[in-house]
Amino acid sequence: MIYPFWDVPFSYGILMAVIAVLHVFVSHFAIGGGLFLVVTEHRARRAGDTATLEFLQKLSKMFALVSLVFGALTGVGIWFIIGLLNPTATEALIHNFVWGWAIEWTFFVVEITAAIIYYYGWQRLSARDHLIVGWIYFIAAWLSLFIINGIVAFMLTPGQWLVTGNFWDGFFNPTYWSQLVLRTGICVMLAGLYALLVAARYEASDFKARTVRYSVRWGLIGLAVVAVSLAWYWRTIPAEITGKALQVMPASIKAFHVNSWLLLALAGALAVSWLLARRLPVVLAVVLLALGLAWFGAFEQFRESVRKPFVVTGYIYGNGVPVAKAKAYQQAGLLTQIAYTTGDDGADLFRHSCRSCHTLTGSRPLRPAFDGTDRAFIAAIVRGAHLLKGNMPPFPGTAAEADKIAGYLYERIDHTPIRDGTRAYEVRCGKCHVVGAASDKSKTFTGLSAEDLSGMLDAADSLGEGMPAYTGDAEERAALISYLQQLGKQAKP
Amino acid sequence: MNLPDYEFLSAPLWLITVLHILTLTLHFVAMNFLVGGVIMVLYAATRKRWDDPTLKKFGKMFPAAMAATVTLGVAPLLFVQMVYHRQIYSAAIVSGWFWLGIIGVAIAVYYALYRSSLRSEKTGTVSRAALLLALAGLVYISLTYSSIFSLAERPDQMRQLYAQDPTGLVWNPAASDYVLRWLHMILGAVTVGGFFIGMLGRDDPAVFALGKRFFLGGMILAALTGLAYTISLRPYLPALMRSPAIWGLAVGVVLSAGALHFFFKRNFCAAGTMLFVSLLTMVHARHTVRVLKLTGQFDPHSWRVAPQWSVFALFLVCFVVMLAVVVYMLRLVARAK
Repeated sequence: MIYPFWDVPFSYGILMAVIAVLHVFVSHFAIGGGLFLVVTEHRARRAGDTATLEFLQKLSKMFALVSLVFGALTGVGIWFIIGLLNPTATEALIHNFVWGWAIEWTFFVVEITAAIIYYYGWQRLSARDHLIVGWIYFIAAWLSLFIINGIVAFMLTPGQWLVTGNFWDGFFNPTYWSQLVLRTGICVMLAGLYALLVAARYEASDFKARTVRYSVRWGLIGLAVVAVSLAWYWRTIPAEITGKALQVMPASIKAFHVNSWLLLALAGALAVSWLLARRLPVVLAVVLLALGLAWFGAFEQFRESVRKPFVVTGYIYGNGVPVAKAKAYQQAGLLTQIAYTTGDDGADLFRHSCRSCHTLTGSRPLRPAFDGTDRAFIAAIVRGAHLLKGNMPPFPGTAAEADKIAGYLYERIDHTPIRDGTRAYEVRCGKCHVVGAASDKSKTFTGLSAEDLSGMLDAADSLGEGMPAYTGDAEERAALISYLQQLGKQAKP
Repeated sequence: MNLPDYEFLSAPLWLITVLHILTLTLHFVAMNFLVGGVIMVLYAATRKRWDDPTLKKFGKMFPAAMAATVTLGVAPLLFVQMVYHRQIYSAAIVSGWFWLGIIGVAIAVYYALYRSSLRSEKTGTVSRAALLLALAGLVYISLTYSSIFSLAERPDQMRQLYAQDPTGLVWNPAASDYVLRWLHMILGAVTVGGFFIGMLGRDDPAVFALGKRFFLGGMILAALTGLAYTISLRPYLPALMRSPAIWGLAVGVVLSAGALHFFFKRNFCAAGTMLFVSLLTMVHARHTVRVLKLTGQFDPHSWRVAPQWSVFALFLVCFVVMLAVVVYMLRLVARAK
């Protein structure tokens, strides 16, 4: 809380995703593309295949423009954005992994120098020297993945580091190797997809057919590595994380499932490309790239969201509160910890506790979640945030501060009373009890009379930890009771 | 369970400072080559010398210079964040959109430099426009950096500005803090650019004269703005005068004059070395000013030090290998020529 909070009208997740997904897409291509270029050049030179060498020159032009410019700068962009969105987590990572990043920088310098020399060296360097530079490029690029992979994997699975604090324990963490193989597979797959885009621009010919099939092979080999290592990766994530995700985080699991379907779609599209090799249209190559981007986006979304409520599992919560300090904040009050204030306590508390993930009306909006309710109810929900579905961090402040957030939110919600039973359930109960999913209590309503249910609502705050008191008016209560009876009837015994 | 603490430095402060100053100087060399070079090529274009072969050759190096500027900029940003992240991140958040805008602008600059270096049209109109666009982008980036890093030295002002507007749309209003400093840096870039163009065009009297004019003129103007900036530091001036940085600066000034002398004698190796060391002393002085401005609000020595020597040793090995491989590749290029 020593940092100001950047109050933007969008969700932080969207801002992060825009830069990060595009960067990882390009940077993985930059690695796989390097391998594709040098291996293919090696084969072409040995066979005296000038047509392929010309193709590689075209590919390396696109490669230089996309990876050197866009890849390098969006990489710096990730630095910029993480410092803006979660400075505390960035601070923790910097202090622990600065030498890891410094090592990665040395590879980055070699990679960029080699890429420039390779690109400009087609006509100037001897074949042997050009190939040497190509291999230097690929090795440096892959080594930079070797390093950054440790830090990225650490954020999901810090492993023994949480006990020892040792750099190497954090670096070679439980998902390190599976993720390294997975990302290497992605690099190879993306290299094939990019090569297809360049090959698709050629007129129909034997050369085009040959090049398309060769590129499809790269895509399929990468895809096979990805498919196998993705299963391995899932297994290396501690069961407590995946178990919790399966229970209460449908969005993360959905992202993982979407991921699998997109892989199948990619395999299918690659197979079609093989069949259409001679006349592969640019549109299909673009579709393949779009599928690759969508797949990668879904994977990164899974990886980022499955570690909720943490930004570094077990160490720092998504809202930037260090786990080790959360209790102290709850006792002393969050306001005492906020160094940059705006004079509106409710707004400041809302920003530092909730805004990293929630907006009022945009992504993960809170307005519709509280429309028609009251300040006491909102305060109770804020106090018990860690018990809600979706894996939320505990509220890092006092009860009085939760009330201030409630006041801030109450001023901004719609005060039209709730008159629909389904909506009343969704707002009052559905934050924890999802019909047919997490913590479904439908069965307990079976056979209960309206009076029984009314009594249950009266005693709601004593039914379990964090349960809020029922504060709806009589008409809302009647509608909710009617809906609860309906649920009881529908519930399977 | 007692979780590991993250509030520590993984190397002694002096080591991080040395690495920061050294890598920032390297970044400035590449940046000066680029900014100074672009200004000079555009100036030459107004004198109907757009098609000069040496200047063309110079222009073709801009995309690589941009790559070097970005790449060499990563390390100093990393090392400075390690100690001063609380000031830098806070300032970046206060001016969030301007800070983030640097990335978009830098991408546009990069593509503009590529487009300009291709010179694919006969008239040169589009290439010149692209180069002008690149210069505008570089001005934005450098000014934004100066503005935010100056703001980072004023925590009280940051708090006030944030209280007025937490949306990241605040531009540092204390222009007197950074405009002179920024101008000094831009003129320094012109100076270094003059050196490089003079060196590259040493066999072409007209180009050498151009480099000489910019080297000399840039140095005089940079010295004047540097002096004005130093005077503007009035509240911190006595402390700066007592610090080792002032001796460094004095050496830097002498070396700059020496660089000029050797440049005129066409001894580019000696001139370049002196220029580099002079730049190093200025970066050190800049660092000293930051520490002085933060005195009473933040003491970098207050960090607990818990060195990670094994990883640091690996970094050193990788650093040496990096130098060796880069030199090896450059030798391959030289051999090809």
